[in-house]
Amino acid sequence: MSELRQTLKAQIIEQLNLEDLTPADIKNDAPLFGNDGLGLDSIDALEFIVLLESSYDIKVADPSAGKEIFHSIDSLAAYIEKNQ
Amino acid sequence: MEIFITGYGMISCIGSTIDESLEYLRAEKTGIQLGAFEALPQYRVGVVPFSNDEIKAKFNISTDGSRTALLGMVAAKQAFEGHKLNDSIRTGLISGTSVGGMDISEREYKNFLEQTNHNPANYKHHASGTSSEEIAKELGVTEFINTISTACSSAANSLMMGARMIKNGLLDRVIVGGTDGLSSFTISGFKSLMIFDDELCRPFDESRKGLNLGEGAGFIVLESEKSLKLSGKKPLAKLTGWSNASDAFHQTASSPNGYGATISMQEALNVAGLQAQDIDYINAHGTATPNNDLSESHAIKTIFKDAIPPFSSTKAYTGHTLAASGGIEAVFAILAIQQGLLYPNLNFSTPIEETGLIPQLKFEEGKTIKNVLSNSFGFGGNNSTVILSAI
Amino acid sequence: MKIISSIKINSTQILVNGVSREIPVAEENNWTKALYTSLELSYPKFYKMDSLAKMAFISLQMMEKEVALSEMETSDVALIFANSSSSQATDLKFIDSYTEKGSPSPSLFVYTLPNILTGEISIFKKWYGENIFFIDENFNAEFFIDQINFYLSKGSKACLCGWVSALSDTEECFLFYITNEEGTLTENELNTLFKQ
Repeated sequence: MSELRQTLKAQIIEQLNLEDLTPADIKNDAPLFGNDGLGLDSIDALEFIVLLESSYDIKVADPSAGKEIFHSIDSLAAYIEKNQ
Repeated sequence: MEIFITGYGMISCIGSTIDESLEYLRAEKTGIQLGAFEALPQYRVGVVPFSNDEIKAKFNISTDGSRTALLGMVAAKQAFEGHKLNDSIRTGLISGTSVGGMDISEREYKNFLEQTNHNPANYKHHASGTSSEEIAKELGVTEFINTISTACSSAANSLMMGARMIKNGLLDRVIVGGTDGLSSFTISGFKSLMIFDDELCRPFDESRKGLNLGEGAGFIVLESEKSLKLSGKKPLAKLTGWSNASDAFHQTASSPNGYGATISMQEALNVAGLQAQDIDYINAHGTATPNNDLSESHAIKTIFKDAIPPFSSTKAYTGHTLAASGGIEAVFAILAIQQGLLYPNLNFSTPIEETGLIPQLKFEEGKTIKNVLSNSFGFGGNNSTVILSAI
Repeated sequence: MKIISSIKINSTQILVNGVSREIPVAEENNWTKALYTSLELSYPKFYKMDSLAKMAFISLQMMEKEVALSEMETSDVALIFANSSSSQATDLKFIDSYTEKGSPSPSLFVYTLPNILTGEISIFKKWYGENIFFIDENFNAEFFIDQINFYLSKGSKACLCGWVSALSDTEECFLFYITNEEGTLTENELNTLFKQ
């Protein structure tokens, strides 16, 4: 389970070009979006959707559903585990 | 100094002449179709139903060019019909485009990958500026040629720039507008942004899910008073207001309150010396994305308060023609003024909950339309408004 | 009109108001990243930008260290930018994402429009003024001066202008800030600044 979280952190850093960050900087339960978190925005959410499809074969058809799924590393991992 | 409009032309999925386009508008009939773009048949798009070669033959075009350039030539030639090039009228062409010669680059790239008939010389069409050079060549315009690339506000910005060139005495007459041919590039890009509607787009409707893409071109001819005397053309309308403002919010999304759009509309009214209540019809940007239509509705409410004039988005007819949209919609504005028309906002049934605005729902004729305000908002937060007025 | 500051950067040259600066050592040929790091800025969005926006952003930051640009939240500054190749470098990367890599990349598509860089500057500075991007064959000093005249006579207090271009093998950015203060600018002067 924590392995998936570690992989996700590395993938996110690469896919979203978060060059200033290392996986250790991203907390499992911290919000990814908005100013309190990593400051990701709507384009990053779309990249998450591409990532889910290309790496985990999971399709998210409605971008507005992304808000909950991509809230944190924990919620993202839970979604992947549930849908894979 | 007044800026007169003495020519107009357009081509899109609802027709390759003004008359054909009017027939669709009158019949409240969309030109958007499922499968109209052969390479990606799963999308509903608005396509001009001719191949590049057919366009050249049908419209007697002698200059080679990309689809963007060819569509531009068709519309610009219509607009310039009856005009003559003349040493005493300094004439320019300003064209807006976002994809330029992408269709040809895509074809060559495919040829390159498949190693068949690859001709690298054809990449010369790629640069966005090339399409404007090609359109100018077809018209014989040489004095001033320029290309604007500000996404979906490109054509509106070319109207604005043309007006300024005339006002500042740098040109006497200028053909302005925009053109964009549809390409796999554009379709793939908008798909990645997840702002397509699988069904027909529904601007300003609560249930709207996104846009349908289109292709086409729209150009108009602007002239100074001095030029008018020399050309002997009868003005169709005037370009009285223009403005461009930055939304300073996000690369692609509009700010929730429509701040940039509000500045843009207000400043265009100021330039025209008009009050909000002088506007008889608003041709909205109205792409039918959840974000644009909500943001634009807020901006319209901020400017027009409780007295919102009839407004509609005509993109449910043509699809979103991107850099061409401001040119095509300027043609619609001229027709509205000349013939007293109001265009329906197709596919509307339920107002947006937060704003409650109800657009124009029927095609109407015989109205008195003196001033039309037309919005074009582009990615990059580039928001433009033009105002066209009766003579 | 008066030029207050100019910046010119490419992989082999940094000029601040005409004075040459030392070029930071770049890893993996990433000269824009090296320059960004040397400026000790914290703007994580930088890494998401395409090369056009990156160069414009860095140049703006270097300029801000030299002169006071107009305050935040203003419509006083017009952005006038141009190049000859639009967003070609990013266009190719985006085509690669959907033809070779299977899925069109939204973050690449966003930057397949050159005027996203004026959007980035507007967002960073909270500038609500006019912004335009022209495609022209070459840097045209006369054209820039005409445009600047339009904006300054219309009420803009300053213009931030630039020629920013990114192809797969060449990247360059020339930025200048010009205000409505007393002064003159000739085509020759502007061309000299551009070619320096």
